[in-house]
Amino acid sequence: MEKRRLNNGKIKVLDSLPMLIVCIAVILALYLVCFTQIASTNAMRYMIQIFLYIAMAEMWNLLSGFTGMTSLGQQLYIGLAGYSVAVATTMLHLSLGLGMAMGIGVSILVSLVLSLLLFRMEGMYYSIATWVVAEIFEKLFLNWKFVGQGSGMTIRVEPYPRIHSICIISLTICVCAIVVVYLLLRTKVGLGLNAMRDDVGAASAVGVNVFRHKLLVCVIAAAFTAAAASIFLVNKGIVYPESGFSISWTVSLIFIVVVGGSGTIGGPIVGSVIYVFLQEILARFPGWSNIILGVITILTILFLPKGIVGTLQQKLHFDIFSAKRFSYSKRK
Amino acid sequence: MYVAQVIINGIMLGNVYALLGVGMSMILGIVKLTNLAHGEFIVLGAYLSTVLAPLLGIHPILTLLITVPLMFLLGYLLQYLLIGRAMKKGNEPALLVTFGLSVILQDGMLMFFLADSQHISLPNGMGTIQLGSLEISTLHLMLFAISLVTMAALTVFLKYTYTGKAIRATADDADVAALSGVNIGRIYAIAMGVALASAAVAGLCVGMKWTYDPSAGSSYLLIAFVVVVIGGMGSIPGTLVAGILFGLAQVIGGASYGLPISYVLLLIVLIVRPKGLFGK
Repeated sequence: MEKRRLNNGKIKVLDSLPMLIVCIAVILALYLVCFTQIASTNAMRYMIQIFLYIAMAEMWNLLSGFTGMTSLGQQLYIGLAGYSVAVATTMLHLSLGLGMAMGIGVSILVSLVLSLLLFRMEGMYYSIATWVVAEIFEKLFLNWKFVGQGSGMTIRVEPYPRIHSICIISLTICVCAIVVVYLLLRTKVGLGLNAMRDDVGAASAVGVNVFRHKLLVCVIAAAFTAAAASIFLVNKGIVYPESGFSISWTVSLIFIVVVGGSGTIGGPIVGSVIYVFLQEILARFPGWSNIILGVITILTILFLPKGIVGTLQQKLHFDIFSAKRFSYSKRK
Repeated sequence: MYVAQVIINGIMLGNVYALLGVGMSMILGIVKLTNLAHGEFIVLGAYLSTVLAPLLGIHPILTLLITVPLMFLLGYLLQYLLIGRAMKKGNEPALLVTFGLSVILQDGMLMFFLADSQHISLPNGMGTIQLGSLEISTLHLMLFAISLVTMAALTVFLKYTYTGKAIRATADDADVAALSGVNIGRIYAIAMGVALASAAVAGLCVGMKWTYDPSAGSSYLLIAFVVVVIGGMGSIPGTLVAGILFGLAQVIGGASYGLPISYVLLLIVLIVRPKGLFGK
């Protein structure tokens, strides 16, 4: 009995030097796989998807799981990035890099302007307002002649990058996203974000500048979502309003984060891997995929609210990629 | 005279908008939950009426006798078995559950009814009534009447029945209501049932006025949201006024400027009165 209580109270934070070495080794190994092209094209395709979903899901998790701003409108930045890349590469014949930079720039700009309005709303009002804004943009692009209205635009990148270089870019975006989120959470800002998630009023009272924190998180999320999405849409080769601004993007991100574990950095990684393989299986049942994803998400929320990684951490008493800086035991 | 015609058209249209928003407004005000599936429930109501009217050989409006209790039951069960449980885990899980429901419903209807747009056709053709130089279509007049009757019924229900009083008490302070012997879980379930019943009525009106398809839910949610934010959540008169304002904006702006004007209206209300015109 005594032993069990001791074990229950102890939480091991895995973040010391060995952990760092393991992480760097894994990342290097992944880069090596990309560079040497030992993986088949098919495997590369899966890896690209997983990397990009991780990046986008980490950003959604940063908004929802760590800051408490559940956004249902991240597809706004996905669409904007897709169109920016299309305009830059197909119309202006710029390189992919410049197209991505343009997408990120446009997204940051839009998120800055929108923040002024959206931050007037809190909680659920904010969530639904983000969705409304994304819908408005979809309608706008549907009627905008310059971007091809309903039929959208093709994205033609010349010269078209080889698949392994796309894989390297995706991996880089993914690693940057994880590192940025991790470092952000370990600073004073991260503590402020968590405080805001738990109680905005109290956080504000102890001196957290709520507006500035929210703005920072939104801009970071917009930028990385745009970066990941532009690669994603370049791979698809076409962007049109119903695809770029589709709510299914957010459905996927919510699935990944909720199933993997909201409020953990490891969660989106696990969730993305599951999602990409599940997607492959679901492709055999056209029409059912969103239904099944929705059912799994609801069941997870009801019966496994912490997600896979969150539940494992709780059961096995460890924290991975945690904002906590030392292991500790909970005192009664 | 032209102005009078525009105003009448705007009010007629606005009433339908108010009807779209009233269920969502109730849920926001009472259960303190954003029901992201409200648009899909409206579409579901429209489909039920579309299917039932020819099947039973009755006037579309009479299908309400079946769809309203059916949707009430659906709402009651969903809240009792699903959403209520998620609400115990916090606001965000509940929101995500309604979001999941909306996705499931939308794709489910897409598989079941296919993507073709539908319309509820009325058995005897609809004419117009001439009032001096004003023209009012009987369809609009009928929608206007349905909407007003629904609003009045909701107001009477909330104001004078015992359950209605319990609902209002819960909306004001759930803890104190629980202390006075109100079964909160049951009240929430009834509120969700009433909201879905109003969605059934809204669905019928939407189906008679416009065409719809399984993916139309998000645009109804959009309208409902705008109406709720302008009117203030939980307020039926607020919803009505906001709906009419929104309808007027649409009619005055026409096809090309209607939506931008409405969104500017929304933004102004958000900046000046974030809680809505009639919000507490």
